[in-house]
Amino acid sequence: MSEHDSILGRRFTRRTILQGSALAGVGAFLAACGAPAQSTGPTTAPSSAASGEPAPSSPAAEATPSEILNFANWPLYIDQDEGSPPVSPTLEQFKAKYGTTVNYVEAVNDNDQFFGTIQPPLQAGQDTGWDITVLTDWMAARLIRLGWVETIDTANTPNFVANLRDVYKAVDWDPENNLRAPWQSGLTGLGFDEATTGNVTSLDALWTDDPRWKGKVWLLSEMRDTVGLTLLKLGIMPEDFTLEQAGAALAEIQKTVDAGIVRSFLGNDYKEGLVKGDLVLGTAWSGDMIIAKGEKASLAFNIPDQGGMLWTDNMQIPKGAQHKYTAELMIDWVYDPEIAAQLAAYIQYVSPVAGCQEAIAKNPDPEVAALADNPLMFPDDATLGTVHIFRALSEEEEISLNDEFSKVTGN
Amino acid sequence: MGQLLRRYRFLVPYLLLAPGLIWLAVYYVYPAVQMFIASFWSGSISQGFTFSFANWTNYTEALDRYSEQFVRSIIFAGLATLLTFAISFPLAYTIAFRGGRYKNLLLFLVIAPFFTSFLLRVISWRTILGDDGLLLGPLKAIGLLPEDFRVLATPVAVITGIAYNFLPFMTLPIYVSLEKIDRRLLEAGQDLYATPFMTFRRVTFPLALPGVFAGTLLTFIPAMGDYVNAELLGQTPATRMIGNVIQSRFLTNNDYPTASALSFILMAGILVAVALYARVLGTEELTSGAV
Repeated sequence: MSEHDSILGRRFTRRTILQGSALAGVGAFLAACGAPAQSTGPTTAPSSAASGEPAPSSPAAEATPSEILNFANWPLYIDQDEGSPPVSPTLEQFKAKYGTTVNYVEAVNDNDQFFGTIQPPLQAGQDTGWDITVLTDWMAARLIRLGWVETIDTANTPNFVANLRDVYKAVDWDPENNLRAPWQSGLTGLGFDEATTGNVTSLDALWTDDPRWKGKVWLLSEMRDTVGLTLLKLGIMPEDFTLEQAGAALAEIQKTVDAGIVRSFLGNDYKEGLVKGDLVLGTAWSGDMIIAKGEKASLAFNIPDQGGMLWTDNMQIPKGAQHKYTAELMIDWVYDPEIAAQLAAYIQYVSPVAGCQEAIAKNPDPEVAALADNPLMFPDDATLGTVHIFRALSEEEEISLNDEFSKVTGN
Repeated sequence: MGQLLRRYRFLVPYLLLAPGLIWLAVYYVYPAVQMFIASFWSGSISQGFTFSFANWTNYTEALDRYSEQFVRSIIFAGLATLLTFAISFPLAYTIAFRGGRYKNLLLFLVIAPFFTSFLLRVISWRTILGDDGLLLGPLKAIGLLPEDFRVLATPVAVITGIAYNFLPFMTLPIYVSLEKIDRRLLEAGQDLYATPFMTFRRVTFPLALPGVFAGTLLTFIPAMGDYVNAELLGQTPATRMIGNVIQSRFLTNNDYPTASALSFILMAGILVAVALYARVLGTEELTSGAV
């Protein structure tokens, strides 16, 4: 409950910030700063929709689906058909049912960067232009902590209520399951090119000066993944660690960087290096590796002996979103097991929707149906027992850890 | 009408300057002032930032913590400028004096790669220079290079990447100043029994200096702030340049004060460097060398 209290506390803080005139000026400047970054976003769509709608932010007035829904998501995170340009069957079917054109933009490449673009309007109490954003656990938790998300009216989302898998329920930052809806989860573990490295199962390999991979190792630029795995290597649980222990983990990372074993800190682009052969071993995301294996069969993914990390990207409705009701319809839509199966067949991460595995097993295409048996997409309880979730950080801890981590990555 | 024009004639220069001035005011002065203010902030993104001149320590702290990346940027940009000069001068000289009727074609070829996107070119270099790519793959296969040799993720990749990307900015100004040299001056040199090398050293090169000056500035200044080459070809903590730090401070750490302070230090540093350089070569060269 203390987490909940602190959420309310933050909300009050935000309101005071908006009332204080001096600080409101800062908010305005931040809004000005954010303006160019926003131009890649949904600038045209909301205005055209606003004309067809009465009051943008009064939920009671929104009994019908809107014409437009602005959806910000990560790259390669939605199903696509074979057409050119490819369209998403899930979004097309949504349009057929509700008449809503989904302005789906792959606008999120990095949690922090995307936060930088929505923070100014949220701080100023303005609409971000997005109706649904998809952000990773810790960032989703930060938005909740700041009071910057709308509560999902679960009366509009029966599928979501019925089909959210238990493992996702009642996390400490969303005790009532109405401030975020998981989109997909993934595992972080060891990705490698088996033809070069052989089967790698221990995180110790990332610290081993082995000619097979020295100088061809990468670590994820996402602080929580890299620090989390290093904590596991040191035998410390990422669910529960002190800042001193995190410091020890960072020193450990520095060692392998200094030894010339690690070459780069990368986001999604490690896939390209793996396929080309510039990289052969590193910390990777399960879904990426399933897809990359399609391009190079010798690639493989293991959950390390010491354990892996589990993370979730979450749909949220940002505060002041213009089409909250339609956003709720969309959340409910993707929690329909059939739709979830359609998405999972393409995205190949871990679906949070109960019934998705059964639905995908019934697919007429045997290749797709076989995905139901893929342990990385539908991890069993034994697998889920070996993965860990990075604990929530306070703002001070987060700033300090990010800062220390950037020193290691050369920033 | 004619009378009206004559009466307000004094306005004409201002009107002609107006588009440029407005452009600069909106896209340079305004952001620079905002950034200057931000460099004196303290606080964090969720608690809000507060301005105080007492936060001048942002500058000293930023300089202290990132001196390594600053020095690296100066070295990388300096070496890249030298390399660009070493490639550009003979190139421009050949086009200007030996180009003949192919002059325009050759100039076009210098610029041709720049019709494709900057990013695409850097990314294709990443493919060419790959550890087992077009260049290194065959050399490793025949045993000329050890298996663990690499170009990517080394300073060499970043410096040559920068040099490649700024080549026309050096070549074109040098070409222009060589092109406009009065050939009779060279003949005069020969008439006075100067060897070709002497003529080059005493006549051609000094006359080409305005172009060299403009070219080095056009290369060095953007190279100092470049982050794309270090990001895509470097990709390793030991090749991060100051541009990468500013980018990640702004976008990853949401640390606007430090990022702003770093930007101003970079700007001031470049201004001082240019002022010193202009002093050595003479300020009028700056304008006369412009293309």
